[in-house]
Amino acid sequence: METVNINISGKTIHARAGETIIQALWSAGLAEEVKTGCAGGVCGACTVTVRFPDDRPGGSDLACMRLVEEGMEIFPCPVDGIAPQAPTPYPDQEKIQSAFPTLNRCTKCGSCTSVCPMSIPVMDSVLRMQNAEFDQVADDFTTCIHCGLCRFVCEDKVKPHNMGIWVRRSLGMTGEFPVEPLADASENAGGEWQELLSGSPEEILRRCKSFRQTGKIEA
Amino acid sequence: MMDWAKDSLQQVARTRDDRSEQVLPGLDDQASQELLKKFHPDYKGLERKINVGSNANSQKFPPELADLLEADSPLPESFEPKVDIETDVLIIGGGGAGVSAALALNDSGMKVHLATKLRLGDSNTVMAEGGIQSAITAEDSSRRHFADSYVGGHGNNDPDLLRYLCEQGPLSIRWLTELGCLFDKNEDGTFRVRAGGGTSIPRVLACRDYTGLEIMRVLKDAVLLTETHVLEDHAAMELLDDGEGQVTGAVLWHRIEKKLITVSARAVILATGGSGQLRIQKFPTSNHVGATGDGLVLAYRQGCQLLHTDSYQYHPSGASYPEALAGQLITESIRSAGAQVVNAHGDRFISEMSFRDVLAGAIIREVEEGRGVEIPNGRKGVWLDTPLVDMKLGEGTLKKQFPGLFHRFERYNIDPAKQPLLIYPTLHYQNGGIRIDIECRTDRKGLWAAGEVTGGLHGTNRLMGNSLLDITVFGRRAAQSVAEHLPERKPVTLSSLLKFRQQLKSLGGAKGTSPQLFPKASQMKFQLAEVPPAQETRGAENTKANETFEPPDPFGGRF
Repeated sequence: METVNINISGKTIHARAGETIIQALWSAGLAEEVKTGCAGGVCGACTVTVRFPDDRPGGSDLACMRLVEEGMEIFPCPVDGIAPQAPTPYPDQEKIQSAFPTLNRCTKCGSCTSVCPMSIPVMDSVLRMQNAEFDQVADDFTTCIHCGLCRFVCEDKVKPHNMGIWVRRSLGMTGEFPVEPLADASENAGGEWQELLSGSPEEILRRCKSFRQTGKIEA
Repeated sequence: MMDWAKDSLQQVARTRDDRSEQVLPGLDDQASQELLKKFHPDYKGLERKINVGSNANSQKFPPELADLLEADSPLPESFEPKVDIETDVLIIGGGGAGVSAALALNDSGMKVHLATKLRLGDSNTVMAEGGIQSAITAEDSSRRHFADSYVGGHGNNDPDLLRYLCEQGPLSIRWLTELGCLFDKNEDGTFRVRAGGGTSIPRVLACRDYTGLEIMRVLKDAVLLTETHVLEDHAAMELLDDGEGQVTGAVLWHRIEKKLITVSARAVILATGGSGQLRIQKFPTSNHVGATGDGLVLAYRQGCQLLHTDSYQYHPSGASYPEALAGQLITESIRSAGAQVVNAHGDRFISEMSFRDVLAGAIIREVEEGRGVEIPNGRKGVWLDTPLVDMKLGEGTLKKQFPGLFHRFERYNIDPAKQPLLIYPTLHYQNGGIRIDIECRTDRKGLWAAGEVTGGLHGTNRLMGNSLLDITVFGRRAAQSVAEHLPERKPVTLSSLLKFRQQLKSLGGAKGTSPQLFPKASQMKFQLAEVPPAQETRGAENTKANETFEPPDPFGGRF
């Protein structure tokens, strides 16, 4: 088996080629070094920065998704959450400015975009927030895992991912619910339940099977 | 790339046009049963009875779980509970069910603590991809939702729980929408619904292939705006009781400070989720790292009955290659959108929208009978022919609707729009669990349970999208019941544990300890703080190494 040497907080590990940083840490008994949640790339717990002694590009990533490479140096980079801002229906420019006063401090350095492990165009989206282009912002942040790296690296105290979810939640709660949730409780519902659930479990199962095929409940 | 599969890939490409419109009927009852008996892991007969506790000598458990139920608590014999935190409601579990319960308790006037072993939201909920099921279209009804789920669960479902789930579906979707969840919509503003395996009509709502992430981040954001006291990195080690059958709190282990904390509560809601990390029969799992069945162990020591715990869900489409992704979920909705499942020869062998257990059984059959693909990592699999989606629905559809899929596979230079993926069943869901009534009450006063930790609702096979609905419906139902029946505060003792320990001793002692808390592979374990903490100096070796390892500038990687 091909092995590679990696470094975590000053300790050297012989890892197997093709495994992730988290898998390598587990095998080495060093699981506590990097905070881990889902190990599937969606919870944002295992943020790390990596560096190479040569000129291979380093940067930040999720330890559960990043494969080990020879000579890789890994530094845990846990990001603590901050208190959220309450979302509000029908968001507009004024509302987002008042919820996030630092929004316009963005100096377009692009750090947030470069650290995003989900490849979200974070900085572009911040500029869209300034212009209240919220539908596009909501789309940009669809895949946001709230790891917090974009906020962590921002020197201007802009809070991109917090604003992202604020926009998404605000849009989500805007407008009427598109269907009448109680429409299903039609006059016949009670009777239909009775028809469906009467008799022995075997009879119920048989009736359910025919319902699935015919779309009707047989007597 | 993937030269070892070149021949098989050619066959898949060769048969693609011919089978793209091919209709495969579902298997009839008898054929399904035969397939399951022969190939599904649940039917291998590896389960065993245990000789301690309320299910002693009656029910069977997979050995991996049986070992934990028969194990001793890691609490030191000398430990005596002294109350550190006094609260009204203690919720254990920071996934969808626990957070839904906390949100529903927000205006109750009760003091609520939510303890989670990991961080808030690190859960199976956040990893759910395909969707949430609810009868919201005019052609559909909660009765039909019931029928599909009941047949899927082999009629082993608790009909009262299942009816409540189906009836509450649309209300839960509205609740989530009001909290700000953005579900995918059609051009006309109605919710887009897809078929799931075993749904007789399209009924699954989604947010791309990140439905669980969308729901969890909204629930998390919302609960952080409430008065709920969130205790992260607090693992539940044992439930406390008053010596007379009422659960009165819990002992938590603060992972960072490595100390035990005693909580006195008038009500405890267990929402600890499932047990995929037990890696039953050495299957890989799609579960998060905390899914080690802790809640089952805790409730069992209190005398709660467990139901259908010999039934697990092996999700048909777990990734089988590359190795780093082994076991991770490839959502069912990709099949719903048109991707076919084909063997090494490029042949389909079953309807892709069969119930999950049946499809998983069929995939295992293909592999065991030599029609699978051998992968250099030692695993085997069959193909999920993803390029069909764009062929059928237009170029770019797959990437637009399943960004998570691309995000994961593109790291390995695999483009799912151009090349099929290798899949094999992965341990996905604990179908059974703690027995509850329609109000989420367990067999013990003071103890409620909701979500994957419970049993009965899904019978012995769950349908896609029913677990995200489960957690929002029953998380809130548990909260409502707690508010209506909050017991008086009673003393905290370890009576149940003492009785359990005596029973273990009389049976010849226990092997090992539980709850397990973390995957065995992680080598993480329960450990109390060392005494004395302050005096010790760091090892010279590490100090030296650290000097040469200053953390890098986070901007260093900018491109």
